[in-house]
Amino acid sequence: MRKLLLISLIAVSFVQAQELNPQMSGYVNELKEQAKRENQNFQEFDYARGESVFTKEQVGKRGVLISCATCHTNDLSKNGLNEQTNKVIEPLSPNANPSRFTKVKKVEKWLRRNFKDVYDREGSAREKGDVITYVINKK
Amino acid sequence: MKKLIIASLLVAGNLVAGSSYGQRGVAPVRDDFYKAECASCHFAYQPGLLPAKSWTKLMGDLSNHFGVDASLDSADNQKLLKYLLGNSAEKFTEYKRSRRINDSIAAYETPIAVTKTRYFIQKHREIAPRLIERKEVRSLVNCTACHTTADKGSYGERAIKIPNYGRWDND
Repeated sequence: MRKLLLISLIAVSFVQAQELNPQMSGYVNELKEQAKRENQNFQEFDYARGESVFTKEQVGKRGVLISCATCHTNDLSKNGLNEQTNKVIEPLSPNANPSRFTKVKKVEKWLRRNFKDVYDREGSAREKGDVITYVINKK
Repeated sequence: MKKLIIASLLVAGNLVAGSSYGQRGVAPVRDDFYKAECASCHFAYQPGLLPAKSWTKLMGDLSNHFGVDASLDSADNQKLLKYLLGNSAEKFTEYKRSRRINDSIAAYETPIAVTKTRYFIQKHREIAPRLIERKEVRSLVNCTACHTTADKGSYGERAIKIPNYGRWDND
């Protein structure tokens, strides 16, 4: 019985650690390696730093104040809106929208585009990892 | 009898013309990759809404796509460009809208926005800005807000319904 309990506990913790699929975990690990190379003091990706990357407003590519939350909103389980085209943006949180953060190519494409739109530059490996950590873990 | 022959000839003539000029709107979008990539941010504009030179110019600078970065890797970019060029306005002149848009673009200009073509401007000139600025519409780029069958490539007057206004009648 005790063995069964132990196995169940291990299984549960395993499931929780497996929020990202193997391809996505591999991508996040690559970002981690790159972040270490760029800064020796780097330890781990950080939710709070990611939240700041996501919510901080600055002058973006269009020359007006913008943050990630401008289109995605601060509630990542709800729809966002592209105000220029009036196109609904489906929820960013994988809790609400399981297809999010499942395809590396798609994640790379949108991080590249959206950092340009919001920060008018590419994101660093640390910023990308931080913001992914924030988005996939935000309740 | 002579009248009947003339009438028959007219009908036959119309049928012949119909085979080359009969389509009313633009050819609908049939490419799922195009829909997935382009329509994640905006309406899936039919390739027949612009000529090849416009699509080539637009796809050549996706990093600056109407103020936003819409860049793609070059393989995906080429794949989409091939679809756009294979279905651009001048290749679908049997469709009325494709023909009219294409005819309204001068040889010296290369508009990358459908909304900047002379035909489009002329067709929308009577729409009051207050009807466009509402949150249900926001911009003329949002075709489906008023053209209820735009996704089928049909932009006819009977299917127009402007939010906060109703049906549109040119007469």
